[in-house]
Amino acid sequence: MTRFVESTITFPYKRSLGPVTGAFMTALAEKRILGIRNGAAVLVPPMEWDPASGAELAADLVEVGPAGTVESWTWVPVPTEQHPLEKPFAFAFIRLDGASCPLLHAVDAGSPAAVFEGLRVAPRWRGRRVGHITDIQCFVPGETSEVDGPDVESTGQPVELMDYTASVTYSTPVLAMADRAVAATREQRLTGLRCPACERVYFGGDRPYCPVDAVELGPDAEIDLPSTGTLTNFIVVEPVRYPGQTATEPFARVFVLLDDSDVVLTYQPVIDLPVDEIRVGIRVTAGWAPIDAPVDNVSGIGRPLGSLLGWTPSGEPDVNDPDLVNRIY
Amino acid sequence: MTANETPGTSTDLAVVGWAQAAISRRTDQTETQMLMSAITDALTPLGLTRADVDFTCLGSCDYITGQAFSFVANLDAIGAWPPKRDSHVEMDGAWALYEAWLRLHEGDIEIAVVTGSGRSSTGDPSLIYPMEMDPYVLAPLGADLVTFAALQARAVISAGLADERAMAEVAVRSRGTGTVEELLAGEYVREPLRRHDLPPITDGAVAMVLATGDRARQLVERPAYITGFDHRTECHNPAFRRLDDSPSTRIAAREAGLDDRGLNGRGVEVAELQASFTHEELLLRHVLGLGDDVAVNPSGGALRANPIMATGLARIGYAADHVFGGGTRALAHATSGPCLQQNLICVLEGRS
Repeated sequence: MTRFVESTITFPYKRSLGPVTGAFMTALAEKRILGIRNGAAVLVPPMEWDPASGAELAADLVEVGPAGTVESWTWVPVPTEQHPLEKPFAFAFIRLDGASCPLLHAVDAGSPAAVFEGLRVAPRWRGRRVGHITDIQCFVPGETSEVDGPDVESTGQPVELMDYTASVTYSTPVLAMADRAVAATREQRLTGLRCPACERVYFGGDRPYCPVDAVELGPDAEIDLPSTGTLTNFIVVEPVRYPGQTATEPFARVFVLLDDSDVVLTYQPVIDLPVDEIRVGIRVTAGWAPIDAPVDNVSGIGRPLGSLLGWTPSGEPDVNDPDLVNRIY
Repeated sequence: MTANETPGTSTDLAVVGWAQAAISRRTDQTETQMLMSAITDALTPLGLTRADVDFTCLGSCDYITGQAFSFVANLDAIGAWPPKRDSHVEMDGAWALYEAWLRLHEGDIEIAVVTGSGRSSTGDPSLIYPMEMDPYVLAPLGADLVTFAALQARAVISAGLADERAMAEVAVRSRGTGTVEELLAGEYVREPLRRHDLPPITDGAVAMVLATGDRARQLVERPAYITGFDHRTECHNPAFRRLDDSPSTRIAAREAGLDDRGLNGRGVEVAELQASFTHEELLLRHVLGLGDDVAVNPSGGALRANPIMATGLARIGYAADHVFGGGTRALAHATSGPCLQQNLICVLEGRS
């Protein structure tokens, strides 16, 4: 049975808006909706370019709506977590008064029977607006705009950035060979796979293929590898703040050439080796989690593999080989 | 530049083989494993190995895989030695074929392998697809592909090009199961679309071998020559487009040479259309002017199997099969983006 691992990836984008979309978002915070003139037409939301020809448009912005007419619609009986409303709603093309094209947005109509082409709708604004398309929570039937909760007046500052966050959960198969490599580390063993065609050895099991010969490598190809080696190269990361970065102090990732082999482990963590003492040629030995300690089953670049937590100096004299530094693969 | 020097009308590059792997609702295989099989199965019947391949171009999508640079792992499947020229498109494999077709026009190499691959079962498409929409005004609303398809279906119905019954007939014909009455009794997923109007979620990979004319004639008895190839795109926001038309398809078909030889169906015996939703087939038939004499999607199309990132390349594969089997001319269509935003037309011909 293949094991599947669930992982949730969050995409926290921060987008710069530019002069036209920025003006549109700034106006939304003020409960106004802007379009842009394109010849005789008015595009909503405003674009910097003519969608047909690509010609740059003069920033001739004009207020539209806020009420409009439903031109087309579909009913969303089961909203996703990304949708504007938690209850069933209509997604509709709404032609705002004064606009030449429709705007897609949600309509809180209660039931599909209440939505039709020609339905007049107006925005329901959020009380607290930040300059974002979701400042309009949705549209509601009728001519009159609403505000959801206490109306907090906009600061009037131009909006230049917007946030967009999507979160997606993936269920990914974990290959049996990957699990075998992690299981071996629980016994404080490192394993690799030797290609029967070219005899090259690849560390671990999460990519059980020989990329040179394009063949898959199974249990027959598995071999034990030494858990001692030499540090060939390293990088010191000065953490900068970004979503997901939990480190605050400089830390190292090192490359380790295993003894009696041609195998280089990449981007490995170090243990008991201060950043300012790291150098090429240090002899190192694997640092293990205690037997029976819970280990992370997910491997990846720069992460420990199972019970292999990182590499620690063995105390042997350094290896002095000027070519070592080139061994990063 | 004469017509023969224009890439869009060159006649001496041909599809010589293709293969699919792991086409299923949910596979345990990794994308690399699927590609390993597909590439081997495409090359082996031709008597070729990976060492014979001069250029590779892979089509896949990190958002579907859920892994940054996922195409790097996929390279394990193509054979790194001897070194070969390689490229990647974050698009359906049909566009990988387009890039390989351009590359082989350089004339210095003879054989290319292209692939399309994806594991759509990995995540929830309704949460992934909004990320390909306009990032300012559509993605933040969670504007999903099925919502946009429903809005296009309504436009196509309003224009008199389809109705719900005709859409159900497309579903029955494509999948070979059920009856129109049964299907029309179902609930709407997004009115006017019911479950049967939507594509299935499919994992899978497709690999295809493209060769210059002389090599192609050595490799197979009846190469499928690419005699027209073009793709065009429209505005990213469907709200700015006419959804009851597909001008980019029409232009691509014209540039692929179909106005003289096959638009309105003249000369095209089979059309494989990447119509993921039933109404898209009816719209594309109308735009391409395909008459009843053209067999549309004999493979069952994207409604039967929809391995995202490979669905379009598979259309070209099935069109090539028609030529391999003795047919004269087949049309393949691939699409990308919401509401048929970008469209590709590939015309394949046999020679007697």
